[in-house]
Amino acid sequence: MLLRRLLRAAATLAVVSILVFLVVDALADRATHELGRAASAEALAARRHLLGLDRPAVWRLGEHVLAAMSFNLGDSARSGLPVATLLGRAVGPTLAYAAPGFLLASVMALLGGFAAARWRGWPGRILVAVSTVLMSTSSVIIVVLGQFLLAHRLRIFPVLGWPLASDPRALLGFVLLPALLWAAIQLGPDLRHYRAVFVRELAAPHLEGLRARGLGEPRIARHVLRGAVAPVLARISARLPQLVIGSVVVEQVFNVPGVGALLIAAIQDGDLAVVQGIAFCLAAATIVGQMACDLAVYALDPRTRARPEAGR
Amino acid sequence: MRRPGAVGALALVGLVGFALLGLGAALGLYAQGFEQAVGPEHLSPGPGAWLGTDALGRDLWARTIQGTRVSLTVGIGAALGLVAIGTLLGSLAGLRGGWIDRVVSGLVDAIAAVPPVVMLLGAALVLTPGMTTAILAISLTQWTGVFRSVRAEALRMRSADHDRAAVAMGADTWHRVRWHLLPRLRPLLITSLVVSFVYAVKVEAVLAYFGASAQHLPSWGRLLAESGSELARGIWWPIAAASVPLALLVLCAQVLADRLTDDEPGE
Repeated sequence: MLLRRLLRAAATLAVVSILVFLVVDALADRATHELGRAASAEALAARRHLLGLDRPAVWRLGEHVLAAMSFNLGDSARSGLPVATLLGRAVGPTLAYAAPGFLLASVMALLGGFAAARWRGWPGRILVAVSTVLMSTSSVIIVVLGQFLLAHRLRIFPVLGWPLASDPRALLGFVLLPALLWAAIQLGPDLRHYRAVFVRELAAPHLEGLRARGLGEPRIARHVLRGAVAPVLARISARLPQLVIGSVVVEQVFNVPGVGALLIAAIQDGDLAVVQGIAFCLAAATIVGQMACDLAVYALDPRTRARPEAGR
Repeated sequence: MRRPGAVGALALVGLVGFALLGLGAALGLYAQGFEQAVGPEHLSPGPGAWLGTDALGRDLWARTIQGTRVSLTVGIGAALGLVAIGTLLGSLAGLRGGWIDRVVSGLVDAIAAVPPVVMLLGAALVLTPGMTTAILAISLTQWTGVFRSVRAEALRMRSADHDRAAVAMGADTWHRVRWHLLPRLRPLLITSLVVSFVYAVKVEAVLAYFGASAQHLPSWGRLLAESGSELARGIWWPIAAASVPLALLVLCAQVLADRLTDDEPGE
Protein backbone atom coordinates (compact mmCIF):
# COMPACT_ATOMS: atom_id res chain seq x y z
CA MET A 1 0.00 0.00 0.00
CA LEU A 2 2.82 2.36 0.95
CA LEU A 3 4.68 1.66 -2.29
CA ARG A 4 1.61 2.41 -4.36
CA ARG A 5 1.08 5.68 -2.50
CA LEU A 6 4.70 6.67 -3.11
CA LEU A 7 4.48 5.88 -6.82
CA ARG A 8 1.27 7.83 -7.11
CA ALA A 9 2.80 10.80 -5.29
CA ALA A 10 5.76 10.78 -7.66
CA ALA A 11 3.43 10.63 -10.65
CA THR A 12 1.40 13.56 -9.33
CA LEU A 13 4.57 15.58 -8.84
CA ALA A 14 5.67 14.82 -12.38
CA VAL A 15 2.30 16.03 -13.68
CA VAL A 16 2.71 19.21 -11.61
CA SER A 17 6.07 19.89 -13.22
CA ILE A 18 4.63 19.23 -16.67
CA LEU A 19 1.76 21.63 -15.97
CA VAL A 20 4.10 24.31 -14.71
CA PHE A 21 6.28 23.87 -17.78
CA LEU A 22 3.34 24.07 -20.18
CA VAL A 23 1.91 27.18 -18.54
CA VAL A 24 5.25 28.94 -18.33
CA ASP A 25 6.34 27.91 -21.81
CA ALA A 26 3.06 28.87 -23.43
CA LEU A 27 2.39 32.11 -21.62
CA ALA A 28 5.73 33.67 -20.92
CA ASP A 29 8.84 34.07 -23.04
CA ARG A 30 11.84 34.17 -20.76
CA ALA A 31 14.04 36.00 -23.27
CA THR A 32 11.49 38.81 -23.64
CA HIS A 33 11.19 39.01 -19.85
CA GLU A 34 14.93 39.36 -19.44
CA LEU A 35 15.63 41.80 -22.26
CA GLY A 36 12.41 43.80 -22.25
CA ARG A 37 9.81 44.17 -24.96
CA ALA A 38 11.86 46.73 -26.87
CA ALA A 39 14.69 44.28 -27.60
CA SER A 40 15.50 43.54 -31.24
CA ALA A 41 14.54 40.25 -32.85
CA GLU A 42 18.21 39.24 -33.30
CA ALA A 43 19.01 39.93 -29.65
CA LEU A 44 16.00 37.90 -28.57
CA ALA A 45 16.98 35.02 -30.84
CA ALA A 46 20.54 35.08 -29.52
CA ARG A 47 19.30 35.12 -25.95
CA ARG A 48 16.94 32.23 -26.66
CA HIS A 49 19.84 30.30 -28.11
CA LEU A 50 21.94 31.04 -25.03
CA LEU A 51 19.13 29.91 -22.73
CA GLY A 52 18.55 26.84 -24.87
CA LEU A 53 15.00 27.91 -25.66
CA ASP A 54 15.34 27.18 -29.39
CA ARG A 55 15.53 23.43 -28.88
CA PRO A 56 12.41 21.33 -29.46
CA ALA A 57 9.76 21.70 -26.74
CA VAL A 58 9.50 17.98 -26.03
CA TRP A 59 13.22 17.76 -25.36
CA ARG A 60 13.09 20.72 -22.97
CA LEU A 61 10.01 19.28 -21.28
CA GLY A 62 11.79 16.02 -20.54
CA GLU A 63 14.81 17.86 -19.21
CA HIS A 64 12.61 20.08 -17.07
CA VAL A 65 10.68 17.21 -15.54
CA LEU A 66 13.85 15.24 -14.79
CA ALA A 67 15.47 18.27 -13.16
CA ALA A 68 12.37 19.03 -11.11
CA MET A 69 11.99 15.43 -9.95
CA SER A 70 15.54 15.48 -8.63
CA PHE A 71 14.77 18.81 -6.91
CA ASN A 72 17.23 20.68 -9.07
CA LEU A 73 15.20 23.86 -9.27
CA GLY A 74 17.65 26.02 -11.22
CA ASP A 75 18.79 29.58 -10.57
CA SER A 76 16.83 32.77 -10.17
CA ALA A 77 16.97 34.92 -13.30
CA ARG A 78 16.99 38.09 -11.23
CA SER A 79 19.56 37.48 -8.52
CA GLY A 80 21.44 34.53 -10.01
CA LEU A 81 21.16 32.59 -6.75
CA PRO A 82 19.88 29.02 -6.71
CA VAL A 83 16.11 28.88 -6.17
CA ALA A 84 16.59 26.41 -3.33
CA THR A 85 18.74 28.94 -1.45
CA LEU A 86 16.16 31.69 -1.90
CA LEU A 87 13.38 29.42 -0.73
CA GLY A 88 15.37 28.22 2.26
CA ARG A 89 16.00 31.82 3.29
CA ALA A 90 12.32 32.76 2.96
CA VAL A 91 10.84 29.80 4.83
CA GLY A 92 12.15 30.95 8.23
CA PRO A 93 10.39 34.34 8.38
CA THR A 94 7.15 32.84 7.08
CA LEU A 95 7.12 30.04 9.63
CA ALA A 96 8.04 32.50 12.39
CA TYR A 97 4.61 34.10 12.23
CA ALA A 98 2.56 31.44 10.44
CA ALA A 99 3.35 28.53 12.76
CA PRO A 100 2.27 30.27 16.00
CA GLY A 101 -0.75 31.72 14.22
CA PHE A 102 -1.67 28.30 12.86
CA LEU A 103 -1.33 26.64 16.27
CA LEU A 104 -3.39 29.33 17.99
CA ALA A 105 -6.14 29.21 15.36
CA SER A 106 -6.26 25.40 15.32
CA VAL A 107 -6.55 25.10 19.11
CA MET A 108 -9.19 27.83 19.29
CA ALA A 109 -11.11 26.40 16.33
CA LEU A 110 -11.09 22.89 17.82
CA LEU A 111 -12.26 24.07 21.25
CA GLY A 112 -14.79 26.49 19.74
CA GLY A 113 -16.02 23.94 17.25
CA PHE A 114 -16.51 21.35 19.97
CA ALA A 115 -18.29 23.88 22.21
CA ALA A 116 -20.55 25.01 19.37
CA ALA A 117 -21.46 21.41 18.57
CA ARG A 118 -21.97 20.40 22.20
CA TRP A 119 -24.07 23.41 23.26
CA ARG A 120 -26.21 24.03 20.23
CA GLY A 121 -28.33 26.80 21.81
CA TRP A 122 -27.19 30.39 22.13
CA PRO A 123 -23.49 29.72 22.82
CA GLY A 124 -23.27 27.66 19.65
CA ARG A 125 -25.18 30.18 17.58
CA ILE A 126 -23.02 33.06 18.74
CA LEU A 127 -19.85 31.13 17.95
CA VAL A 128 -21.11 30.25 14.48
CA ALA A 129 -22.21 33.84 13.83
CA VAL A 130 -18.82 35.20 14.88
CA SER A 131 -16.96 32.75 12.67
CA THR A 132 -19.27 33.47 9.73
CA VAL A 133 -18.54 37.18 10.04
CA LEU A 134 -14.78 36.50 10.35
CA MET A 135 -14.94 34.23 7.32
CA SER A 136 -16.84 36.80 5.25
CA THR A 137 -14.34 39.53 5.98
CA SER A 138 -11.73 39.51 3.24
CA SER A 139 -8.22 38.80 4.51
CA VAL A 140 -7.19 42.16 3.08
CA ILE A 141 -9.64 43.93 5.39
CA ILE A 142 -8.62 41.87 8.44
CA VAL A 143 -4.94 42.62 7.93
CA VAL A 144 -5.28 46.32 7.10
CA LEU A 145 -7.75 47.05 9.90
CA GLY A 146 -5.93 44.83 12.38
CA GLN A 147 -2.67 46.63 11.78
CA PHE A 148 -4.40 49.97 12.17
CA LEU A 149 -6.31 49.15 15.34
CA LEU A 150 -3.74 47.11 17.26
CA ALA A 151 -0.56 48.84 16.14
CA HIS A 152 -1.43 52.41 15.17
CA ARG A 153 -4.29 53.15 17.51
CA LEU A 154 -3.83 51.00 20.59
CA ARG A 155 -0.05 50.80 20.18
CA ILE A 156 0.04 47.27 21.61
CA PHE A 157 2.33 46.09 18.82
CA PRO A 158 4.99 47.73 16.68
CA VAL A 159 3.63 48.82 13.31
CA LEU A 160 5.95 47.04 10.89
CA GLY A 161 9.49 46.39 9.91
CA TRP A 162 10.86 42.91 10.07
CA PRO A 163 13.58 42.87 12.72
CA LEU A 164 17.08 41.79 11.91
CA ALA A 165 16.75 39.57 14.96
CA SER A 166 19.05 41.47 17.30
CA ASP A 167 16.74 41.85 20.27
CA PRO A 168 14.59 38.77 20.95
CA ARG A 169 11.93 40.85 22.67
CA ALA A 170 11.55 43.08 19.62
CA LEU A 171 11.32 39.97 17.48
CA LEU A 172 8.45 38.71 19.60
CA GLY A 173 6.59 41.97 19.21
CA PHE A 174 6.99 41.97 15.43
CA VAL A 175 5.95 38.36 15.10
CA LEU A 176 2.94 38.46 17.42
CA LEU A 177 0.69 40.76 15.43
CA PRO A 178 1.09 38.95 12.09
CA ALA A 179 0.55 35.68 13.97
CA LEU A 180 -2.65 36.99 15.55
CA LEU A 181 -3.96 38.24 12.21
CA TRP A 182 -3.12 34.92 10.60
CA ALA A 183 -5.13 33.23 13.34
CA ALA A 184 -8.06 35.59 12.72
CA ILE A 185 -8.06 34.73 9.01
CA GLN A 186 -7.93 30.99 9.67
CA LEU A 187 -10.26 30.80 12.67
CA GLY A 188 -13.60 31.46 10.90
CA PRO A 189 -13.62 28.65 8.35
CA ASP A 190 -11.86 26.19 10.65
CA LEU A 191 -14.24 26.66 13.57
CA ARG A 192 -17.22 25.99 11.35
CA HIS A 193 -15.52 22.99 9.79
CA TYR A 194 -14.68 21.43 13.17
CA ARG A 195 -18.16 22.19 14.46
CA ALA A 196 -19.65 20.24 11.54
CA VAL A 197 -17.26 17.36 12.30
CA PHE A 198 -18.22 17.28 15.97
CA VAL A 199 -21.94 17.62 15.22
CA ARG A 200 -21.64 14.50 13.07
CA GLU A 201 -19.62 12.62 15.67
CA LEU A 202 -21.92 13.59 18.57
CA ALA A 203 -24.90 12.24 16.64
CA ALA A 204 -23.21 8.88 16.02
CA PRO A 205 -25.43 5.97 17.09
CA HIS A 206 -22.73 4.08 18.98
CA LEU A 207 -22.64 6.86 21.57
CA GLU A 208 -26.21 6.00 22.57
CA GLY A 209 -25.09 2.44 23.13
CA LEU A 210 -22.26 3.61 25.36
CA ARG A 211 -24.64 5.85 27.33
CA ALA A 212 -27.09 2.98 27.72
CA ARG A 213 -24.31 0.93 29.23
CA GLY A 214 -23.82 3.68 31.80
CA LEU A 215 -20.56 5.27 30.66
CA GLY A 216 -19.89 8.75 32.04
CA GLU A 217 -19.84 11.76 29.75
CA PRO A 218 -16.03 12.28 30.04
CA ARG A 219 -15.42 8.79 28.71
CA ILE A 220 -17.96 9.31 25.96
CA ALA A 221 -16.15 12.53 25.00
CA ARG A 222 -13.03 10.42 24.47
CA HIS A 223 -14.89 8.27 21.99
CA VAL A 224 -16.09 11.39 20.19
CA LEU A 225 -12.55 12.71 19.96
CA ARG A 226 -11.25 9.41 18.65
CA GLY A 227 -13.86 9.39 15.91
CA ALA A 228 -13.06 12.97 14.94
CA VAL A 229 -9.33 12.30 14.54
CA ALA A 230 -9.47 11.50 10.82
CA PRO A 231 -11.38 14.58 9.61
CA VAL A 232 -9.43 16.88 11.92
CA LEU A 233 -6.09 15.54 10.72
CA ALA A 234 -7.26 15.83 7.12
CA ARG A 235 -8.07 19.49 7.66
CA ILE A 236 -4.75 20.17 9.38
CA SER A 237 -2.76 18.48 6.64
CA ALA A 238 -4.68 20.47 4.04
CA ARG A 239 -3.64 23.62 5.90
CA LEU A 240 0.07 22.73 6.07
CA PRO A 241 1.11 24.00 2.62
CA GLN A 242 -0.54 27.34 3.41
CA LEU A 243 1.67 27.44 6.45
CA VAL A 244 4.75 27.31 4.23
CA ILE A 245 3.62 29.92 1.74
CA GLY A 246 2.18 32.18 4.41
CA SER A 247 -0.28 34.92 3.71
CA VAL A 248 0.78 37.11 0.79
CA VAL A 249 -1.28 39.95 2.22
CA VAL A 250 0.27 39.72 5.70
CA GLU A 251 3.75 39.64 4.21
CA GLN A 252 3.02 42.60 1.98
CA VAL A 253 1.54 44.75 4.75
CA PHE A 254 4.12 43.88 7.40
CA ASN A 255 7.05 43.71 5.03
CA VAL A 256 7.99 40.16 6.01
CA PRO A 257 10.70 38.67 3.75
CA GLY A 258 8.90 35.31 3.55
CA VAL A 259 7.81 32.87 0.85
CA GLY A 260 4.71 34.89 -0.07
CA ALA A 261 6.81 38.01 -0.55
CA LEU A 262 9.31 36.01 -2.59
CA LEU A 263 6.47 34.78 -4.79
CA ILE A 264 5.07 38.27 -5.35
CA ALA A 265 8.50 39.72 -6.14
CA ALA A 266 9.30 36.84 -8.50
CA ILE A 267 6.01 37.25 -10.36
CA GLN A 268 6.47 41.00 -10.69
CA ASP A 269 10.04 40.54 -11.96
CA GLY A 270 9.01 37.75 -14.30
CA ASP A 271 11.47 35.47 -12.50
CA LEU A 272 9.89 32.25 -13.67
CA ALA A 273 12.43 29.84 -12.21
CA VAL A 274 11.49 31.05 -8.73
CA VAL A 275 7.74 30.82 -9.41
CA GLN A 276 8.22 27.29 -10.73
CA GLY A 277 10.35 26.36 -7.74
CA ILE A 278 7.76 27.63 -5.27
CA ALA A 279 4.90 25.88 -7.08
CA PHE A 280 6.80 22.61 -7.27
CA CYS A 281 8.10 22.61 -3.69
CA LEU A 282 4.68 23.46 -2.26
CA ALA A 283 3.05 20.75 -4.33
CA ALA A 284 5.63 18.32 -2.95
CA ALA A 285 4.88 19.55 0.58
CA THR A 286 1.14 19.09 -0.01
CA ILE A 287 1.58 15.55 -1.23
CA VAL A 288 3.91 14.60 1.62
CA GLY A 289 1.45 16.17 4.07
CA GLN A 290 -1.41 14.11 2.65
CA MET A 291 0.59 10.92 2.92
CA ALA A 292 1.63 11.71 6.49
CA CYS A 293 -2.00 12.38 7.35
CA ASP A 294 -3.13 9.07 5.86
CA LEU A 295 -0.45 7.22 7.80
CA ALA A 296 -1.38 8.95 11.04
CA VAL A 297 -5.06 8.15 10.56
CA TYR A 298 -4.11 4.58 9.79
CA ALA A 299 -2.24 4.42 13.08
CA LEU A 300 -4.87 6.20 15.16
CA ASP A 301 -8.20 5.03 13.78
CA PRO A 302 -8.72 1.27 14.07
CA ARG A 303 -11.58 1.38 11.54
CA THR A 304 -9.19 2.13 8.67
CA ARG A 305 -7.08 -0.88 9.59
CA ALA A 306 -10.02 -3.24 9.90
CA ARG A 307 -11.31 -2.57 6.38
CA PRO A 308 -8.42 -1.62 4.14
CA GLU A 309 -10.54 -2.24 1.02
CA ALA A 310 -13.49 -0.07 1.99
CA GLY A 311 -11.09 2.66 3.08
CA ARG A 312 -10.55 6.10 1.90
CA MET B 1 -30.59 21.60 -0.21
CA ARG B 2 -33.30 23.19 1.86
CA ARG B 3 -35.47 26.31 1.67
CA PRO B 4 -33.57 29.50 2.43
CA GLY B 5 -35.87 30.70 5.27
CA ALA B 6 -36.22 34.27 6.53
CA VAL B 7 -32.51 34.98 7.05
CA GLY B 8 -31.67 33.42 3.69
CA ALA B 9 -34.36 35.54 2.02
CA LEU B 10 -32.84 38.65 3.59
CA ALA B 11 -29.42 37.66 2.25
CA LEU B 12 -30.95 37.09 -1.18
CA VAL B 13 -32.54 40.55 -1.08
CA GLY B 14 -29.12 42.00 -0.22
CA LEU B 15 -27.53 40.21 -3.18
CA VAL B 16 -30.26 41.40 -5.54
CA GLY B 17 -29.70 44.93 -4.21
CA PHE B 18 -25.99 44.71 -5.00
CA ALA B 19 -26.82 43.35 -8.46
CA LEU B 20 -29.22 46.22 -9.22
CA LEU B 21 -26.67 48.73 -7.95
CA GLY B 22 -23.99 47.30 -10.20
CA LEU B 23 -26.34 47.01 -13.17
CA GLY B 24 -27.42 50.63 -12.87
CA ALA B 25 -23.80 51.75 -12.70
CA ALA B 26 -22.94 49.64 -15.76
CA LEU B 27 -25.87 51.13 -17.70
CA GLY B 28 -24.64 54.63 -16.88
CA LEU B 29 -27.57 55.68 -14.69
CA TYR B 30 -25.41 57.07 -11.89
CA ALA B 31 -21.91 57.18 -10.42
CA GLN B 32 -20.37 58.08 -13.76
CA GLY B 33 -17.90 60.72 -12.62
CA PHE B 34 -15.56 58.26 -10.96
CA GLU B 35 -12.54 59.32 -13.01
CA GLN B 36 -12.64 63.09 -12.46
CA ALA B 37 -11.61 65.03 -9.41
CA VAL B 38 -14.59 66.65 -7.74
CA GLY B 39 -12.84 68.36 -4.86
CA PRO B 40 -9.60 68.61 -2.91
CA GLU B 41 -7.77 65.43 -2.03
CA HIS B 42 -8.88 63.47 1.05
CA LEU B 43 -12.05 65.47 1.58
CA SER B 44 -13.91 63.96 4.52
CA PRO B 45 -17.48 62.73 3.96
CA GLY B 46 -19.96 65.56 3.63
CA PRO B 47 -22.73 66.99 1.46
CA GLY B 48 -20.47 67.50 -1.59
CA ALA B 49 -19.13 63.95 -1.66
CA TRP B 50 -21.11 61.50 0.45
CA LEU B 51 -18.19 59.26 1.14
CA GLY B 52 -15.45 61.88 0.79
CA THR B 53 -12.71 61.88 -1.83
CA ASP B 54 -9.59 59.81 -2.37
CA ALA B 55 -5.92 60.83 -2.77
CA LEU B 56 -6.63 62.37 -6.19
CA GLY B 57 -9.80 64.16 -5.13
CA ARG B 58 -12.11 61.70 -6.88
CA ASP B 59 -15.56 61.00 -5.51
CA LEU B 60 -15.42 57.83 -3.41
CA TRP B 61 -19.17 57.26 -3.61
CA ALA B 62 -18.99 56.88 -7.38
CA ARG B 63 -15.86 54.75 -7.12
CA THR B 64 -17.42 52.43 -4.54
CA ILE B 65 -20.54 51.95 -6.65
CA GLN B 66 -18.43 51.19 -9.72
CA GLY B 67 -16.44 48.72 -7.64
CA THR B 68 -19.63 46.68 -7.25
CA ARG B 69 -19.44 45.93 -10.96
CA VAL B 70 -15.93 44.47 -10.66
CA SER B 71 -16.71 42.22 -7.69
CA LEU B 72 -19.99 41.01 -9.17
CA THR B 73 -18.61 40.41 -12.67
CA VAL B 74 -15.60 38.47 -11.44
CA GLY B 75 -17.65 36.65 -8.79
CA ILE B 76 -20.41 35.54 -11.16
CA GLY B 77 -18.15 34.90 -14.14
CA ALA B 78 -15.66 32.82 -12.20
CA ALA B 79 -18.38 30.89 -10.33
CA LEU B 80 -20.13 30.00 -13.61
CA GLY B 81 -16.82 29.14 -15.27
CA LEU B 82 -15.45 26.85 -12.59
CA VAL B 83 -18.76 25.10 -11.97
CA ALA B 84 -19.14 24.53 -15.72
CA ILE B 85 -15.63 23.09 -16.10
CA GLY B 86 -15.95 20.96 -12.98
CA THR B 87 -19.36 19.61 -13.99
CA LEU B 88 -18.35 18.85 -17.56
CA LEU B 89 -15.14 17.01 -16.68
CA GLY B 90 -16.61 15.45 -13.55
CA SER B 91 -19.57 13.90 -15.33
CA LEU B 92 -17.36 12.75 -18.20
CA ALA B 93 -14.86 11.12 -15.85
CA GLY B 94 -17.54 9.61 -13.64
CA LEU B 95 -19.77 8.24 -16.39
CA ARG B 96 -17.14 7.12 -18.88
CA GLY B 97 -14.61 5.80 -16.37
CA GLY B 98 -11.58 4.02 -17.80
CA TRP B 99 -8.60 5.97 -19.07
CA ILE B 100 -10.49 9.28 -19.31
CA ASP B 101 -11.22 9.05 -15.61
CA ARG B 102 -7.64 8.14 -14.77
CA VAL B 103 -6.14 10.96 -16.85
CA VAL B 104 -8.48 13.67 -15.62
CA SER B 105 -8.28 12.53 -11.99
CA GLY B 106 -4.48 12.55 -12.18
CA LEU B 107 -4.62 16.07 -13.57
CA VAL B 108 -6.93 17.11 -10.75
CA ASP B 109 -4.56 15.67 -8.14
CA ALA B 110 -1.73 17.71 -9.63
CA ILE B 111 -3.71 20.95 -9.90
CA ALA B 112 -5.07 20.59 -6.38
CA ALA B 113 -1.58 20.01 -5.00
CA VAL B 114 -0.34 23.48 -5.95
CA PRO B 115 -1.60 26.03 -3.42
CA PRO B 116 -4.25 28.33 -4.96
CA VAL B 117 -2.31 31.52 -4.17
CA VAL B 118 0.61 30.46 -6.35
CA MET B 119 -1.56 29.56 -9.31
CA LEU B 120 -3.94 32.48 -9.04
CA LEU B 121 -1.33 35.19 -8.63
CA GLY B 122 0.94 33.50 -11.16
CA ALA B 123 -1.76 33.20 -13.80
CA ALA B 124 -3.17 36.65 -13.15
CA LEU B 125 0.17 38.40 -13.40
CA VAL B 126 1.69 36.37 -16.25
CA LEU B 127 -1.34 37.22 -18.38
CA THR B 128 -2.18 40.89 -18.75
CA PRO B 129 -4.03 42.01 -15.63
CA GLY B 130 -7.73 42.68 -15.98
CA MET B 131 -11.18 41.36 -15.12
CA THR B 132 -11.13 38.69 -17.84
CA THR B 133 -7.79 37.46 -16.55
CA ALA B 134 -9.12 37.29 -12.99
CA ILE B 135 -12.15 35.29 -14.18
CA LEU B 136 -9.97 32.94 -16.26
CA ALA B 137 -7.39 32.51 -13.50
CA ILE B 138 -10.03 31.55 -10.95
CA SER B 139 -12.17 29.33 -13.15
CA LEU B 140 -9.28 27.48 -14.81
CA THR B 141 -7.52 26.61 -11.55
CA GLN B 142 -10.25 26.23 -8.92
CA TRP B 143 -12.64 23.71 -10.50
CA THR B 144 -11.17 20.66 -8.79
CA GLY B 145 -13.57 20.73 -5.82
CA VAL B 146 -16.66 20.75 -8.05
CA PHE B 147 -15.07 18.06 -10.22
CA ARG B 148 -14.64 15.74 -7.25
CA SER B 149 -18.23 16.10 -6.00
CA VAL B 150 -19.72 15.74 -9.49
CA ARG B 151 -17.56 12.73 -10.26
CA ALA B 152 -18.59 11.06 -6.99
CA GLU B 153 -22.25 11.68 -7.77
CA ALA B 154 -21.83 10.35 -11.32
CA LEU B 155 -20.17 7.19 -9.98
CA ARG B 156 -23.06 6.73 -7.56
CA MET B 157 -25.53 7.13 -10.43
CA ARG B 158 -23.75 4.52 -12.52
CA SER B 159 -24.76 1.86 -10.06
CA ALA B 160 -28.39 3.05 -9.97
CA ASP B 161 -31.01 0.92 -11.72
CA HIS B 162 -32.52 3.74 -13.76
CA ASP B 163 -29.14 4.53 -15.27
CA ARG B 164 -28.49 0.89 -16.16
CA ALA B 165 -31.90 0.79 -17.80
CA ALA B 166 -31.10 3.92 -19.78
CA VAL B 167 -27.78 2.46 -20.94
CA ALA B 168 -29.50 -0.80 -21.88
CA MET B 169 -31.92 1.20 -24.01
CA GLY B 170 -28.98 2.75 -25.82
CA ALA B 171 -28.66 6.13 -24.14
CA ASP B 172 -25.38 7.88 -24.92
CA THR B 173 -23.31 9.84 -22.40
CA TRP B 174 -24.82 13.15 -23.44
CA HIS B 175 -28.36 11.87 -22.86
CA ARG B 176 -27.42 10.46 -19.47
CA VAL B 177 -25.84 13.76 -18.43
CA ARG B 178 -28.71 15.88 -19.69
CA TRP B 179 -31.67 13.81 -18.46
CA HIS B 180 -30.33 11.83 -15.52
CA LEU B 181 -27.23 13.41 -14.02
CA LEU B 182 -28.00 17.14 -14.23
CA PRO B 183 -31.41 16.94 -12.50
CA ARG B 184 -29.77 14.87 -9.79
CA LEU B 185 -26.94 17.40 -9.45
CA ARG B 186 -29.14 20.49 -9.31
CA PRO B 187 -29.04 21.10 -5.54
CA LEU B 188 -25.28 20.46 -5.48
CA LEU B 189 -24.67 22.80 -8.41
CA ILE B 190 -26.75 25.66 -7.02
CA THR B 191 -24.90 25.43 -3.71
CA SER B 192 -21.53 25.20 -5.49
CA LEU B 193 -22.38 28.30 -7.51
CA VAL B 194 -23.04 30.35 -4.37
CA VAL B 195 -20.00 28.97 -2.53
CA SER B 196 -17.78 29.61 -5.58
CA PHE B 197 -19.16 33.12 -5.84
CA VAL B 198 -18.11 33.82 -2.22
CA TYR B 199 -14.67 32.40 -2.94
CA ALA B 200 -14.24 34.32 -6.19
CA VAL B 201 -15.21 37.66 -4.67
CA LYS B 202 -12.70 37.15 -1.87
CA VAL B 203 -9.98 36.08 -4.31
CA GLU B 204 -10.71 39.08 -6.55
CA ALA B 205 -10.11 41.39 -3.59
CA VAL B 206 -6.69 39.83 -3.00
CA LEU B 207 -5.82 39.89 -6.72
CA ALA B 208 -6.88 43.53 -6.92
CA TYR B 209 -4.79 44.26 -3.85
CA PHE B 210 -1.76 43.14 -5.85
CA GLY B 211 -2.88 45.04 -8.94
CA ALA B 212 -3.89 41.97 -10.90
CA SER B 213 -7.59 42.67 -11.37
CA ALA B 214 -9.62 45.36 -13.18
CA GLN B 215 -7.46 48.15 -14.59
CA HIS B 216 -9.99 50.76 -15.73
CA LEU B 217 -12.74 50.34 -13.18
CA PRO B 218 -12.09 51.06 -9.49
CA SER B 219 -12.13 47.85 -7.51
CA TRP B 220 -12.60 47.48 -3.75
CA GLY B 221 -9.42 45.48 -3.32
CA ARG B 222 -7.36 48.12 -5.11
CA LEU B 223 -8.98 50.85 -3.04
CA LEU B 224 -7.89 48.95 0.08
CA ALA B 225 -4.34 48.70 -1.26
CA GLU B 226 -4.22 52.38 -2.17
CA SER B 227 -5.51 53.69 1.10
CA GLY B 228 -4.32 51.17 3.70
CA SER B 229 -1.33 53.30 4.67
CA GLU B 230 -3.46 56.46 4.98
CA LEU B 231 -5.35 55.06 7.95
CA ALA B 232 -2.51 56.09 10.24
CA ARG B 233 -3.04 59.71 9.22
CA GLY B 234 -6.66 59.50 10.33
CA ILE B 235 -8.08 59.12 6.83
CA TRP B 236 -10.52 56.32 7.45
CA TRP B 237 -13.20 56.88 4.82
CA PRO B 238 -11.56 55.27 1.77
CA ILE B 239 -11.02 52.09 3.79
CA ALA B 240 -14.60 52.16 5.03
CA ALA B 241 -15.93 52.80 1.52
CA ALA B 242 -14.11 49.69 0.27
CA SER B 243 -14.38 47.27 3.18
CA VAL B 244 -18.01 47.72 4.25
CA PRO B 245 -19.55 46.80 0.86
CA LEU B 246 -17.00 44.03 0.30
CA ALA B 247 -17.71 42.44 3.68
CA LEU B 248 -21.49 42.89 3.24
CA LEU B 249 -21.54 41.30 -0.21
CA VAL B 250 -19.55 38.29 0.94
CA LEU B 251 -21.61 37.97 4.11
CA CYS B 252 -24.90 37.96 2.16
CA ALA B 253 -23.63 35.28 -0.22
CA GLN B 254 -22.13 33.24 2.64
CA VAL B 255 -25.37 33.29 4.63
CA LEU B 256 -27.29 32.23 1.54
CA ALA B 257 -24.81 29.41 0.93
CA ASP B 258 -25.18 28.25 4.54
CA ARG B 259 -28.96 28.27 4.27
CA LEU B 260 -28.82 26.21 1.08
CA THR B 261 -26.46 23.56 2.43
CA ASP B 262 -27.82 21.01 4.80
CA ASP B 263 -25.02 20.46 7.28
CA GLU B 264 -27.26 19.71 10.26
CA PRO B 265 -27.98 16.00 10.41
CA GLY B 266 -29.91 16.36 13.66
CA GLU B 267 -32.28 19.02 12.45
